[in-house]
Amino acid sequence: MRFEPAVFEVEHLHYRVGDQLILEDVSLKVLQGEYCAVIGPNGGGKTTLVRLLLGLQKPTSGTIRLFGEALKQFRRWERIGYVPQQATQTDRFFPGTVEEIVGMGRVSRLGWNKKWREDDRRMIAYAMERMEIASLGDKLIGELSGGQRQRVMIARALASEPKVLILDEPNTGVDQPSQQRFYRLLRQLNAEARLTILFITHDIGVIADDIARLFTVNQTLATCNDPKTLLNCEGMSELYGIDAHLLSQHHRH
Amino acid sequence: MFEMFQYQFMVNAFLAGIMIALLASFSGAFVVLRRYALLTETLAHSALVGVAVGILAEGSPVWMAVAAALLSAWVIEYLRSFFHLYSDAVLAIFLSGSLALAVTIVSLAGAFNSSLFSYLFGSILSVSEEEVWTIFMVGVPALVLLGYFYKELYFIAFDEEVAKTAGIPVTLLNFMLVSIVAVIIALSIRIVGTLLIGALMVIPTVAALRYRLGFSATVGLSVLFALFSVAAGMTLSYAFSLPSGATIVLCVLLIFIVSLMINRR
Repeated sequence: MRFEPAVFEVEHLHYRVGDQLILEDVSLKVLQGEYCAVIGPNGGGKTTLVRLLLGLQKPTSGTIRLFGEALKQFRRWERIGYVPQQATQTDRFFPGTVEEIVGMGRVSRLGWNKKWREDDRRMIAYAMERMEIASLGDKLIGELSGGQRQRVMIARALASEPKVLILDEPNTGVDQPSQQRFYRLLRQLNAEARLTILFITHDIGVIADDIARLFTVNQTLATCNDPKTLLNCEGMSELYGIDAHLLSQHHRH
Repeated sequence: MFEMFQYQFMVNAFLAGIMIALLASFSGAFVVLRRYALLTETLAHSALVGVAVGILAEGSPVWMAVAAALLSAWVIEYLRSFFHLYSDAVLAIFLSGSLALAVTIVSLAGAFNSSLFSYLFGSILSVSEEEVWTIFMVGVPALVLLGYFYKELYFIAFDEEVAKTAGIPVTLLNFMLVSIVAVIIALSIRIVGTLLIGALMVIPTVAALRYRLGFSATVGLSVLFALFSVAAGMTLSYAFSLPSGATIVLCVLLIFIVSLMINRR
């Protein structure tokens, strides 16, 4: 079997703002093709962890490796698709068609002449089809529903042909049926396109069946390697003050 | 109407005006979308400091204006990206600070006269052939750069952080954009004037946004609005001996009001 370095490998990560310790001695590993979730209370450091992984903030100490490379040396950012928290709340008047926004995902892959090539067009079309928004190409982003916008943002991330997708609770203002569709699409991306997914969410109950690994972040991080059977998750949730009932209930029925 | 082109100064003014309309509206689109419209006003006031120094030192006011606007743009961008100060507060500080400095220098030079007036509100009579060349020499590369990095600048305008995580050199492109904006502003003060150039950068895009189009179409429309306003404004300026900056801005304002009325949503 070919050796594949971990997508993310974090060791002894500390992050401090002034006197306040936000993350303490966090170590984690996400392997290629894994579907992982990150849960934790608000203000517990989930978003900070993601921002550190993406190089948007600098850790106080500790090491981060992306695809086996130290964060500082890492240049292949097109391998990482990021969908931020406010993805569904774009400016209603922003001038952009769905196709223009999805196209942004290809910009970092353009050649010296900056022209769209056949590959680019194909990937934009593929990403839109995959996210079931192919018919919305000419629509303005401001005219879409929350659920549709969410899928546009994921299509934009997919257009860069990433190996991993990082989703930071991009669920605000999305109705229930759209949520279900969104979870199904993520499941398919993981299973069919073998995309690694790191999903920061509150809705752990709904995706417990899909995920391979669960991280709980509340200043420190705990890893649950078997979220399906909850072997070591219940103790963990007590420790971190996270409502594990959702998880347990989901698995009891 | 066309007899005005018998005069070399009108040909100069039109050539310079067309270039400025193109540059101001194209770069203005990115500035407006990033909620950075006040930057244009601020840099225009910084350019005035350069004009004042130019008058005092009896050097070239236009080149001094370019230098002052560029320096100010870099310091503002540096403060914004590395100190995370509130953008609008930084801009307000630079705006009034520059004006205070400019007024002081102009007073020292004893130059509160009609020549200063033309820098404030624009004058079609004042554009020399040499200045047209300067505008083209700087304007064409600026247009090429904007066109070349169009897709990146659009991505940054939509979401700066995601653009950063996609590997786009955001800090560098931000510096490039504010530098281009600074240079355009400094070069256009002959035609539009320091106090009015902000309007030509901002209003065409805001008017075009009312039509709810995609980005390329919005930019296209905004460029058309700016070109039309500059042509109509300069013609009015010629016909009624009015400051060109004022007539240009009134024309673009009219377009804005009509756009508002057509698209009431």
